[in-house]
Amino acid sequence: MTSQEKLRRFEEQISPHLKSAYNLAKWLTRSHEDAEDVVQEAFLRAFSAFDGFRGEDAQPQNAKAKAWLLTIVRNTSMTWLKRNRNAGSTLGFEEALDDPRERSADPEEILLISCDREQVRRALEQLPPDFREAIVLREMEGLSYREISATVGVPLGTVMSRLSRGRDWLRRILSSPRPVEPEEGAALR
Amino acid sequence: MNCDDSRIYLPAYLDDELDVAESLRVQKHLAECGDCQQDQDEQLILRSALRDPDLRAHPSVDFSNRIEAAVRRAANDEARSRRSWRFEFLRLESFRWLPAVAVLLVVTMVGAFVITNSLRSSHQQLIANAVLAGHIRSLQPNHLIDVPSSDRHTVKPWFQGRLDFSPPVPDLSELGWMLIGGRLDYVDGRSVAVIVYQRRMHNINVFLWPNHGSADDAIRQQEAQGYQILHWNGAEMTYWVVSDLNNSELLEFARALRGH
Repeated sequence: MTSQEKLRRFEEQISPHLKSAYNLAKWLTRSHEDAEDVVQEAFLRAFSAFDGFRGEDAQPQNAKAKAWLLTIVRNTSMTWLKRNRNAGSTLGFEEALDDPRERSADPEEILLISCDREQVRRALEQLPPDFREAIVLREMEGLSYREISATVGVPLGTVMSRLSRGRDWLRRILSSPRPVEPEEGAALR
Repeated sequence: MNCDDSRIYLPAYLDDELDVAESLRVQKHLAECGDCQQDQDEQLILRSALRDPDLRAHPSVDFSNRIEAAVRRAANDEARSRRSWRFEFLRLESFRWLPAVAVLLVVTMVGAFVITNSLRSSHQQLIANAVLAGHIRSLQPNHLIDVPSSDRHTVKPWFQGRLDFSPPVPDLSELGWMLIGGRLDYVDGRSVAVIVYQRRMHNINVFLWPNHGSADDAIRQQEAQGYQILHWNGAEMTYWVVSDLNNSELLEFARALRGH
């Protein structure tokens, strides 16, 4: 493959997923500047690795390319977060999701969940990274469980439990009568 | 299906990740149960809120252009470095380097021959290690089976669409080997079927996938970390059997399986 041919194929298959790449990076880093840096680095990495890109044969080419790119964006984000700030280890997040409200809230009482976009945004931003990542990949980027499992590098069962616990947590937050104070969100991280 | 099951299956149901039979069971329960229906409604409200296009972060046009430019620059750099390589090569006008190339070629071929030979035997060892690792992993909580069933007519169809071959799942219960389920694993660069049998609480993992080499049916044994590993190449499938069962009983099991 000549460089020109490679560029043409890259722009045809990978570049269209820039929006998804930026969206994922933004949600993972929660910073516009970091997201741009991550995406730029990820695109350059993707370009140099593009010769080896094949993906799984069962997937259609487009989904394949998207999942491939998002895996690179995800890994770049993780490296970026580790390098540029002390992002803290992921240990403890599972425990952190056991919000005290879980035990006190009676499921019967939760009737309506708030769908105000800003509230949803804030709630999602507060969700611990592992869970936020799974939900963004599933709900916004439409990846299948299998693709998420490959992208994040965890077993299928973990994907399912992260999605389901992340959603439960969001539902609790969005239906809780009092607004979530920022300190509370910070404690989760 | 009761409410606890439904709560577990509902997210996967809404994500379209269940097979038809499981989906129908969830649907049936939802039709009967108001609480779970409400659960579903809330999941759907949350889902549409999360799928709101305005919740996404959008890259600026300026940024998109910058990325495009950066990729093109990378392509140019790459083209330039490839060209300079070619010129370096052509600049060696005389052919003084030919003998060196010939020697190199011979050394490479001999080396390749030796390496492929030793690789072939270590390849078997690699598979044995992978199979053993798969067995040990399967003993961790909730890793043993994806489809729990003692019915071969449940286990066998479960693999359909998950593998590019249909693994034989013989019923050996009359011989005292209980089928308890199956799962998928990844060995030797491919997805493989794992059928799980049990005797007296000893789990036996049978890893199998199509055999593209020759069949010899001879059972080879080895022991590692206290586990017995048996292996043979059947006419259609390659088999690897791992268990902590004693050697003679496991051999008996392997013969029963091979005879089927």
